[in-house]
Amino acid sequence: MATATETLPGTTPTLTDGPGERRGRDRFHRGPLRWVLLVVAVIVGLLMISPFVIMLLNAFKSPDDYSAHGPLSWPTEFYTHGLKVFWDRVDFPVKLWNSIWTSGLVAIFGVALSLLSAFAIGIGRVKGRLWIVGIFLLANMLPQEVLVYPLFRMMQNIGLNNSGWSIVLIFTVIQAAFGTYLLSSVLGTFPRALLEAASLDGANRWQILWRVVFPVVRPTLSVLLIFFFIWTWNEFFIPLVMLTTNDTQTVPIALASLQGDRMLDVPTLNAGTLVSLIPTLLFFLFFQRTLTRGITAGAVK
Amino acid sequence: MKRKITAGAMVAALALPLTLAACSGGDSGGGSDDATANADGKTLTIWDYESDDSAMGQAWAKAIEIFKQKHPGVTVKTESQTFEQIQKNAKIILTGDDVPDVMEYNKGNATAGQLASQGLLTPLTDVAKDRGWDKKVTGSIATTAQYDENGLMGSGDWYGIPNYGEYVTVYYNAAMFKKYGVAVPTTLDEFTAALAKFKAAGVTPLNPAGAEYPLGQLWYQLALTKADRSWIDDYQLFKNDVDWHGEQLTSATDTISDWTKKGYIPKNSAGLTAEDMGTSFISGKYPIMVSGSWWFGRLVNEAKFDWGQFQFPGSNFALGSSGNLWVVPQNAKNKGLAEDFIDITLSDEVQNILGQKGGLPIAGDASTITDAKTKTFTEQFQKLVSDDSLAFYPDWPVAGFYDQIVSALQSVVNGSKSTDDVLSQLQKQYESGKDDLLNG
Amino acid sequence: MSSAPATLPPQDSTAPTTARRAARRGSGRRRWVPSTYWLYLIPGLAAFVAIIGIPFVLNIWYSLHKWRGGITKMTWVGLDNYADLMHDDQFWQSFRNSVWMIIAMVIIPTLIGLLLASLLFDYIGKHFSGRVASFLRATYYLPQILPVAVAGILWNWILNAQTGALNQILKTLGMHNPPDWLGNPSTALPSVMLVLIWIQIGYPTVIFMSALQRVDPELYEAAELDGANWWARFRAITMPQIKPETFVITLTCTIAALKVFGPIYVLTRGGPEGSTLVPSYYSYLNFFDKSKVGYGAAVATVLTVIIIVVASVIQLLQNRSARKEERGA
Repeated sequence: MATATETLPGTTPTLTDGPGERRGRDRFHRGPLRWVLLVVAVIVGLLMISPFVIMLLNAFKSPDDYSAHGPLSWPTEFYTHGLKVFWDRVDFPVKLWNSIWTSGLVAIFGVALSLLSAFAIGIGRVKGRLWIVGIFLLANMLPQEVLVYPLFRMMQNIGLNNSGWSIVLIFTVIQAAFGTYLLSSVLGTFPRALLEAASLDGANRWQILWRVVFPVVRPTLSVLLIFFFIWTWNEFFIPLVMLTTNDTQTVPIALASLQGDRMLDVPTLNAGTLVSLIPTLLFFLFFQRTLTRGITAGAVK
Repeated sequence: MKRKITAGAMVAALALPLTLAACSGGDSGGGSDDATANADGKTLTIWDYESDDSAMGQAWAKAIEIFKQKHPGVTVKTESQTFEQIQKNAKIILTGDDVPDVMEYNKGNATAGQLASQGLLTPLTDVAKDRGWDKKVTGSIATTAQYDENGLMGSGDWYGIPNYGEYVTVYYNAAMFKKYGVAVPTTLDEFTAALAKFKAAGVTPLNPAGAEYPLGQLWYQLALTKADRSWIDDYQLFKNDVDWHGEQLTSATDTISDWTKKGYIPKNSAGLTAEDMGTSFISGKYPIMVSGSWWFGRLVNEAKFDWGQFQFPGSNFALGSSGNLWVVPQNAKNKGLAEDFIDITLSDEVQNILGQKGGLPIAGDASTITDAKTKTFTEQFQKLVSDDSLAFYPDWPVAGFYDQIVSALQSVVNGSKSTDDVLSQLQKQYESGKDDLLNG
Repeated sequence: MSSAPATLPPQDSTAPTTARRAARRGSGRRRWVPSTYWLYLIPGLAAFVAIIGIPFVLNIWYSLHKWRGGITKMTWVGLDNYADLMHDDQFWQSFRNSVWMIIAMVIIPTLIGLLLASLLFDYIGKHFSGRVASFLRATYYLPQILPVAVAGILWNWILNAQTGALNQILKTLGMHNPPDWLGNPSTALPSVMLVLIWIQIGYPTVIFMSALQRVDPELYEAAELDGANWWARFRAITMPQIKPETFVITLTCTIAALKVFGPIYVLTRGGPEGSTLVPSYYSYLNFFDKSKVGYGAAVATVLTVIIIVVASVIQLLQNRSARKEERGA
């Protein structure tokens, strides 16, 4: 009985038992408990987004309103002038595009690089893999101050200074370090039987990678895509050093320009952040759908 | 086995070019500052971080206009930068080739001083004399323009040229003063009495932000009430040793502690940011705010009550200094053009625009200012300059002192350390930083 | 797909036969020639050496000098910077705070994340709908998308002693002098920890949910048929299956906790009175504020070494556990 059961949360596995009997033997009785748990989950969700509500309140508030009435008040009018001024001043569309393409490329390249390396480590079980994974992890462990000087020089000497490509290059490596680690850990427990079966069928390594391994770890890859995009999007420090002119800078740098020596334009910062959140949120929502459509090992059988 | 070696070789081969690139970075961009200064190109690149609608932004826009008229074939490229980017990364970015010709930079030992001592800035001493900048930039304003080989301000070559100033004053809510029958104080005793009167009526008079610069500035201002120019020189320029348990600093610290106990300063202000302090003043909760000229523009726009300012009473000195500096990076390619631009920003025309917009010019004519508040604001500053009464800021002498002062004064407000302990703690950090600075 | 023998994946702890395991192990070694896998590693390793390895080595080089940065000269001082560092009280004190960071960024979020992931995946997803579960997951993850600087401002608005939302609520509930959350040394650290937990929860939740996706539902069905209740299934099937992700989360969160900088910088700048000082903030102060590049490099190197040690311990545990699984201990 090898019914391909996709683990969509929301579908109870359909077996030959009738639905009634199935439900009755469920872990909890139906009824109040499930509502209680839902309420709990929703409350947690509300707590998580409550600061965002405050951010919304202040994103469309005029500066004097904000100064006079504080951050928790309802805005007296729907104010968008600050955002518009900011938008024009930093040429926000250019910044958005820079962030989108650099983060997007890092996400894709990073995932690809992680998959290749993790394949060798987790499935290929190369000798000394513990050390190799450890070395990759070094990328994560190093504080960024350590990297900045040498990387700046390096990028300058290969002519990539003040270019988004320097960001792509650097962060593909940094994110892929994490990706290699996560994927190799997951692939380390990959069912041997599948690999053997494929090999028995005459598949070579490359084919095994794409036909057997890739579909199974798709949920993990989706997670990595999302993480890499969002992490790179929010990277501030290294882009701050590498990107020196307005045409190459990314969104976090633009937002930081609202912080002067001593003064901070808070309402505009909120509005700008709100706009900046939209691409990352869209990315997340789009790719998390693939998270729920993963195919399990069972189905592949 | 063999495959592993081959694989290893491939890794090395791929990594090699980048390795070489990183390692050979040390001497790239050798700036030759001799004859090539005159072989200027056709562009002028300016980096600054003032917003376009600020006084500086508007004045400099005019300066660019004038520059274009004088140099018709030259393209002017301005890059609006982030303060943080310049502040933190200048010493990395300026080592490269892709640097601006003239750049706005922060003044003081910890910032411009460091760049100067690292050889990243062009000395402008001769140019300053030739063009007469040293006549316009004088006294305390000029202190921040010169740095010696240790990066200490006050002597040595000219590295940065200021074109505006800043200072700390006392903003007050005139409506609340009237309501509670408090007069504008002219002596320190009257000031303290005013605080008491507010407190007695149930209003906390001050709300200095303990988590950022304001509390430290208030503290320093209090010390200045008992200081003279030689004490300031000792503290800021290391002319002699500073007595950290002397009258100035002890009374300042005691006063902060005293005022907190009496409720003139809220006990929960230790975690407050400058932004919080500002908004609490603008919303009319606290009648007095001791802070800097950088608030002026915002108060004009946002404060809905009758407000004014007065100089901190009982003191011959006030915090303040030149504004940010124009610096010319050592690796800049169009130094002649850069110098022309700086000259234009010091010209009367541009300085007067600065004045009118509330930007505190260092030259120019205050009488051309039409707005009354701006006029008072500017005249107060000019008086401080002409009396040589600017005393800089408490965190300037030693790198990293800002966080130390914040932490120390938080202990005072929270009541967790005695005055003696706090001053000893600060002394230790001051001496250690001074040692680092002077002894390389 | 040809019908392979219905072997359960090796991780199943419910009685695989030793014979089957021996066969797999034996044939595995002979069939796979590990060394050709090295080709797949080349791009990753090459890039890594260039972008990470070189700077790391350079950083160690810098740490052996006294240097102001830029184009000033570097003076060789050997291990002096490290000697100074060993005596630097502030630095070692900051490690004490790291323990709290680990609690706030590793232990609590991992536990909560696991619970939430199970709740959403196993329960809400099944009893309500997948969409509800996905929506809730998005809200849990939202804090991770927010730039740290803005998160700091938002939380300042909540925790501000004078005007903050939290104290307003407490005042209306009758408290006259609500605590100075970020200004009082005794409450600052817990406040920062709260913010860190808020930021961090989404990360384990999302990873755990992807991990739960991987678990073969047939295992659950089999167990349910055997009459196991939710907790028993969770312990016997879920937890062992998601071990890789658990280790990854533990390790990466620990590294992040040891390296944490952003939230501290925006909320308290290491204050008040140094009560929230953490190692990488201290390193940053040295690198940038004080321009003691050599010393800052030494601080960063020591921090890295400590992180490596901690990470290696966790790694070893992870590998030991993985090997145990293989051997079916």
